[in-house]
Amino acid sequence: MNNLFQYVPGNSLIHRLNPVSKLLLTVVICIAAFITDHIAVLLALLALDVLIGVTAGIAGRTWSILRGLLKIAAFLFLLQVLLIRGGTPVFWIITDLGLLNAAKVVLRLTVVCLPLALVLAVTRISDLTNALVQVLHVPYRYAFTLATAIRFIPQFLEEMSGIMEAQTARGVAFDQARGLKKFSMILPLCAPLLISSVRRTDQTAVAAEVRGFALRTRASAYKRYPFTRVDNAAVVFCAALLAAAILI
Amino acid sequence: MIKVQDVSFTYKDETHPALEGINLEVPEGGFLGIIGPAGAGKTTLARAVAGIIPHHYTGDFYGSITVNGLDTVDSSLIDLSRLVGIVFQDVESQIISPMVEDELLYGLENFGVPREEIPERMEDALRRVGIPELRDRSISSLSGGQRQKVAIASVIALKPRVLVMDEPTGELDPRSSRQVFSLLKSLNEDLGITVIVIEQKIMLLCEFARQLAVMNEGKIVRAGHTREVLVHAEELEALGVNCPRVTTLSRLLAVKTGLELPPCVDLDTAERMVRGLMI
Repeated sequence: MNNLFQYVPGNSLIHRLNPVSKLLLTVVICIAAFITDHIAVLLALLALDVLIGVTAGIAGRTWSILRGLLKIAAFLFLLQVLLIRGGTPVFWIITDLGLLNAAKVVLRLTVVCLPLALVLAVTRISDLTNALVQVLHVPYRYAFTLATAIRFIPQFLEEMSGIMEAQTARGVAFDQARGLKKFSMILPLCAPLLISSVRRTDQTAVAAEVRGFALRTRASAYKRYPFTRVDNAAVVFCAALLAAAILI
Repeated sequence: MIKVQDVSFTYKDETHPALEGINLEVPEGGFLGIIGPAGAGKTTLARAVAGIIPHHYTGDFYGSITVNGLDTVDSSLIDLSRLVGIVFQDVESQIISPMVEDELLYGLENFGVPREEIPERMEDALRRVGIPELRDRSISSLSGGQRQKVAIASVIALKPRVLVMDEPTGELDPRSSRQVFSLLKSLNEDLGITVIVIEQKIMLLCEFARQLAVMNEGKIVRAGHTREVLVHAEELEALGVNCPRVTTLSRLLAVKTGLELPPCVDLDTAERMVRGLMI
């Protein structure tokens, strides 16, 4: 979990894409997943997600994200199947329509979440924010907010495990609790986590300020993010994908 | 270079002043060590010199601080930060980027350092702190000491005239602590950077700092040349500041023998003194 959002260095075609193209591809996959109503298209999109992960050389990461999503998906699937009342019953209170719709919801969720997680694995956060500011003209403060939020995820987890260790040392048996019980044990720890985080973000704000946060403009970034031929191809691919999702 | 005159400061919503009637002067190219018990106002003083007080942390500010002629209250934090680099005690929260390279780039990009100068400045800063091989690493994969060095590198890459360090060796082992101080010494001597360092390890301060200020309860109890301050070793011990063992030795010898003995700050002079007494 700790490194689920961390950048994996690499030099694959996907890595070399402009961060904006990667975002575009992600957004288009998401839109396509919501437009289409065919299970086959959703499956194809899922295959595309996995293919992107594999070509980027992060098959392992892709798999572990999928496995994580599977748990949530299983829960959602069960809920949908039990709640959807239309269609002809297949078994007990489960109907064929329920099964079909539940499968679509779950697939949609997976297809949408996977590329969002993958884009962070193949893009440095600084490249993402720089490209957003340079190419898409997003105001820097918004891009900085996004980058800081992502940057702090591993730090929060580190801090959380630190707090949990401190509690364990004082006799709290986190390891013996499961499910809801564990959740109710972790919940009170959110207060110290929040307090230390707020204090920390304030320090980070000062650190950014004294290193010229306010001076940063669109032209500040050292690296440049030109659109290459591969990026143009990616845009065409995105357009085709979107058209296919609408037409099928 | 730095002139602190009658400075008092009370943080907003606090009743007790964090600084009270501080007077201090650090010449250009000086090396000042600040020592004192927890809650003495050391960090507040560091923040005030860097202009973070009163620009970021507000409160009641009296007196004046000038850095290279710039008044910290009248000048903007941006102008001050071109002059003064500061490394905080909590290094973790100082690091903004997830990668070492980006962390160094951040300030360089913002302050508009010319593009062709950037690679050289980055390499130079990393080499000075001794971590050129960490350039492409992610911050989360580094140890505490390495992160400390990244934070220092990101500040010295900006070539500040004044470097303020708040307990830079807090999380370091003795060997790395010494390395940090050797680095400060070289920055001070080679580049002429004025150094202000808050430090608990008195031995390091005695060896490297030319000036020493002892703080307690928001006030400066003693300030002056390191050797002069150490004459008042008893006073320091009363504040809970441990003196170097050689200083304690020379003080005790002076008391026991009744002789006028100057305080020793390093092993060599102590040895010479003891040998001299034995003859």
